[in-house]
Parts: sequence; structure tokens; C-alpha cells
Amino acid sequence: MKRRSRVVIIRSRKSLSPDGLSPRILERMFMRGLSHTAESFSLPRVHTGNDTSIGIKINTIGGKALSTGPPVSLALARTLLKRDVREENILIWDRTNRELRNAGYRLNMNRFGLKIYGTDTRGVDYESRLTQHLRIGSRFSAIQARLISHSISLAMLKDHGLAGVTAGLKNYFGAIHNPNKYHDNRCTPYIAEVFDCNPVKSKHRLTILDALFVQYHRGPAFHPSWNKAYGGLVFSTDPVAADFIGWRIIDTLRAKKGIPSLKEEHREPLYIRTAESMGLGTADPNAIELVEEEI
Amino acid sequence: MKRRDFLKTAGAAGLISRKEITGALMDFGCFNSDANLSKVEARFYDKLPDHEIECRLCPRFCRLGDKERGYCGVRENIGGTYYTLVHGKACTVQADPIEKKPFFHFLPETLALSLATAGCNVNCKFCQNWEISQVRPEQIRHIDFPPPAVIRSAKRNNCPSIAYTYSEPVVFYEYMYDTALEARRDHLRNVVVTSAHINTKPLQELLPVVDAIKVDLKGFNQDFYTRYVRGNLRCVLDSIKTIAASPVWLEIVYLLIPTLNDDDASIRGMCRWIRDEIGSDVPLHFSRFYPMYLLRNLPPTPLASLERAHQIALDSGLHYVYIGNVPSHEFENTYCPHCGEKVISRKGYRISEINLKHGNCRFCRQPIPGVWK
Repeated sequence: MKRRSRVVIIRSRKSLSPDGLSPRILERMFMRGLSHTAESFSLPRVHTGNDTSIGIKINTIGGKALSTGPPVSLALARTLLKRDVREENILIWDRTNRELRNAGYRLNMNRFGLKIYGTDTRGVDYESRLTQHLRIGSRFSAIQARLISHSISLAMLKDHGLAGVTAGLKNYFGAIHNPNKYHDNRCTPYIAEVFDCNPVKSKHRLTILDALFVQYHRGPAFHPSWNKAYGGLVFSTDPVAADFIGWRIIDTLRAKKGIPSLKEEHREPLYIRTAESMGLGTADPNAIELVEEEI
Repeated sequence: MKRRDFLKTAGAAGLISRKEITGALMDFGCFNSDANLSKVEARFYDKLPDHEIECRLCPRFCRLGDKERGYCGVRENIGGTYYTLVHGKACTVQADPIEKKPFFHFLPETLALSLATAGCNVNCKFCQNWEISQVRPEQIRHIDFPPPAVIRSAKRNNCPSIAYTYSEPVVFYEYMYDTALEARRDHLRNVVVTSAHINTKPLQELLPVVDAIKVDLKGFNQDFYTRYVRGNLRCVLDSIKTIAASPVWLEIVYLLIPTLNDDDASIRGMCRWIRDEIGSDVPLHFSRFYPMYLLRNLPPTPLASLERAHQIALDSGLHYVYIGNVPSHEFENTYCPHCGEKVISRKGYRISEINLKHGNCRFCRQPIPGVWK
């Protein structure tokens, strides 16, 4: 019998304290999530050498209001350190230094210590050669293409006006130089095909959806009226299953507010079925093992 | 003063030479999100509730939330107002022979001060300028080159016209329009090299300030436009008709790509459409394809294919048909459709002989349409 894809939702209302996100609770959430997925997610450990590194691709395009902020990504980094990953082997990154700064990050490009910087860092940039695969013709960030060996997509879970949902798979649009060219036809098949490109597919290990605050309507821009404190993190080594569950979370939040589902609005995320048909994972609820925990 | 700052200032003042300008700007490896982009309010958009906008410049009608950019990559919604990020931000500046655009019936033997910004609203797999058209403005070097500086530079370089070209001037519409308006006041002409993927209203407002437009008609069926251009053919054909109905001089280029758009039926259909909808006198250039961008797997266009297309066009009744990107080919020349004599001899971009008198064939006095001075 084919093994089911495990998707783990860790929720905690305590992660969202009145003073902001609780670092301690966030670390516990990441610990729990990784413990459920660790058997199929191999981490480069301290003895694997200097040429391995983990890139944590985040999404900071939404500014401070709607980005994965430092408390969350640093909590993940600390969790990795506790699992014996070297600090200098971790890079938190996104497209531009400006977007990282706007989201509250202090950049660090030093050789030692945890690194945080964008593709537009001097000496990094995009690869000069084009990666051509299916309908994709793009220059990949040197970070994704060369500087990291393992990739975690730590993605904001949001409604998206064109794609339906933006989550772990679409997060890699930030790894190419021309994502604006792949939004027609509701971003299909482009989201799936970007993921299927070698620089992503060969390195991606884990999807974590930042569902602490979910923009469940009128995304991807920030609209406070339709932004809900959900208090969750979603983990899976199956990138399609993760996005499928993310979609279900968004539809659940929409239903609670009396808003039509994405399908009823003719905005269901077609890219998820496309990704499944390409063998990138599963969007079949019967083939997904859903584990939910409350901390 | 750093070299980059010098180039910015000197370029803006129109002081630096042609060679320095082009050498300085075409440069990968300079992605910089802190690049100094423009923030000039765009034209042709609607404000929507919740700080959304809908762009109405081209048939994509991009609907964007806050902080989102359109398909073109150079226009952005910031807090519910839509801005062009490339007004006055040229990434390529060069003085070119007008024949390079190509314009064969417009101000021959003159130079055009040619400029472009980053960005494009289509994504042709065969794009020859993809390094500037398929990038965001932060991903390429550019200089501050506001309209007054463009005018000064055109005059300094003895260019009687300014060409908006290389990438896609539709996406830097406001920069093009404002520059063209000022150029008019200084008795300079304006020429546009475009895919014509633009809505009717902005096109109609542009026509009174420009003098010539060359349209790249990429193919003649929507399937080709969907797969290889990611554009809308009907819109392009409507644009061509709109241009042809105005006083603006029009020329058309068809890049002949082996196995993709070189079938006789497409070529014949296009030629007949041009003849019936536009007229037999509009110059049509069949240009040779060379492997480029996302079509490096195809060979260059065989000469026989170009010559066959040329013959189909003549047989369809078109009078001025050329073959481009094949230097020294006999069909680079202009022949009088009445007496058959060669009225303009060309080798590449150079003209060796002109046999026109007051715009007429010197041999039989047949009027040869064009803007000759």
C-alpha cells in the first residue's frame, strides 16, 4: 500500500501573545512539527561538512504586516540548531534586502553565524544563464542555484487573487528573476513548473506554512478585515499536500465569515492539481495523513 | 565621485558619448533593490476599492493589490495609486541609423537617438533583447535620462528623431509620451518600435505626438501568439488598423521563424490582410531569425524561406517588401512598383544610392510613399 503523505498542523493560541509572537512557544511548535516529519526530512548535520547549507526561503513581499517576520524564522533557525545543524550552515533569504529590512530583519552577510540576506546582495544576484524547463525560462537566484544544498520553503499562507492560494509552492517564485511573467492563466502551470526546475526540486526538503495570521480573502495584499489569527504552522515533506491543506484552511476561514469558497468564486488553485499530475506530491485527501496538535 | 554616479549625472546632461552610454548600461550582475526608480503616477488605470487598481494600458488588464506589479514588471500599485517605475530611467541609449529599426521609408540616412527602459508586456520566446525586456528595472543598470536630457542628447548627436525601442515602449508609455511632446516642441521627430500590444485609447492618445511606428507582427494566428508570445493577436491587428488610419507612418516587420510561423498559409493570410485592411503601400519586412533566448534549438531562417515569403507578399499585391537581417541581399533595396527600377540601394544599414525626386521615382515619377525629409 502506498504510503500516505503526512501533513502536520501545530496550533497554539499562546503563540500570539498580546506582546507579539511568543518565541518560546514558536520554538516548541517547530520542534513538534519537525519531530513528526523528521523521519522523511534529512537534515545536514554537523559532521556532513562545510559544503552543505540550509536555505530557509521566506516571503517578505507583504511588508511588516504580512510577512514571515524574524520571530518566526529565527525560531525555526534555533530549532535547527538544537538538531545539531551548524549556525553558519543556515541562510534565511528572500528576493531583496529591502523587503527583508521592511519585514523587520537585520541583515547579516558575514561568513560566520546565521546569515540573512537577499538575492540582490552584492556578489550574489541571479545566475547569468537561463534555466529552461517546460514553459519556464528564468534566471535563478544564486542562493537557490548554488549557495545552498537543502531548501525549506517557509511560506506565508495567503489567499491570492490570481492563483487562488499562495503557499509553499508559489514561495519559489521569489527564487527567479521574472515571476511577473508567470501570473497569467491563474499562474498555471507555472507554479508547478518552477518547482519542478532542478534548482528547486533537487534541494527542496520541507514545506512549512506560516499560518499564524492568515489572509483568507483579497490577498495577497494585506487587508485587516480579512486577516485572521489562526495560530498555526503546517509542516510536510510533500509540497503539494501542504498547499492542499493550506487551501482547506483558507476555505474554512472563509466559510466561518460567510464568504464563498475559492471554488465558488472560480478561483480554486488549479496549480495544485497540476503539481499533483506532475508527480510532485498528492492533493488526494485519502492519500494525506493529517496530524493536528494543539500546544 | 564614483563611476556610477558620474554616469548618472553625465548621462542626464547628455554629455557622454554614444560609446560610453551603451558600454555603461548593458550589464548583468547589478540587481539592486535600492535602485533609484521613478515614482510617477501612471496613466490609464482605474482605482478600485481596498487600494486595488486595474491597469488599462494593454489587453492584460492587470488587476493588482497593494505592492503588486503588473505583468510588465515596471508599473506598481503603491497604496492604491499606480506608478511607473521607469520614467526617465533608460537602460539602453544609442544613436542608431534609422534603417536599423528598420524604417526604410522614413528619413533615410539619418540617425535616431534610441532609448529603452527595462520591461515588456509580452514574453516572446525569440526575444532578441530579453536581457532588458524580461527583467525588472532593479535588475539592470539604468541612468537618469529625463526628457530634457533626451532632447539635448539627440541634438548633440545630430539625431533628427528619437526612437523608443529595444524593449517595449508601451510599458514606458508615460516616459515616451512626455519625451515625444518635448521633442515635438524642439522640431524633433518621434518613432516607435513596438509589438503594438496596447489598448486603443492609449494608442489613440499617443498617435498625435509620434511620427512613425514600426510594428512587430509576430505571427498570424492566436495559437502562435499564445504559445510563443503570450499575447493577444486581435489586439495587435486592431492597433495596426488604428495606426494605419492616422497620419503616422507605418511599417511592419515579420520575424520568420523556421517551423513556427513560416508556413505559406500564415504568410499569405497576413499579406492579404495587410493588403485589404491597411493597403498595398505599407512596407513589410521579413526578418531572418537567429537562435536566441528560449528558442536556441532552432536554426536560423533559411534564405530560401525568406525569399519565398517575399514572393508570396508580392504575389498578394504588396508593393514594398523587404528581407532583413541578411546584409547585402537584393531585397534590402527599394524598387519602384511601377517601372521596377531600384530607387534606394542599401547594404545593411548603409544607403549607397537614392533615386527619388520629391518623393517620386526618378525614372517614371511614380510616387513612392514615405516620409523622405
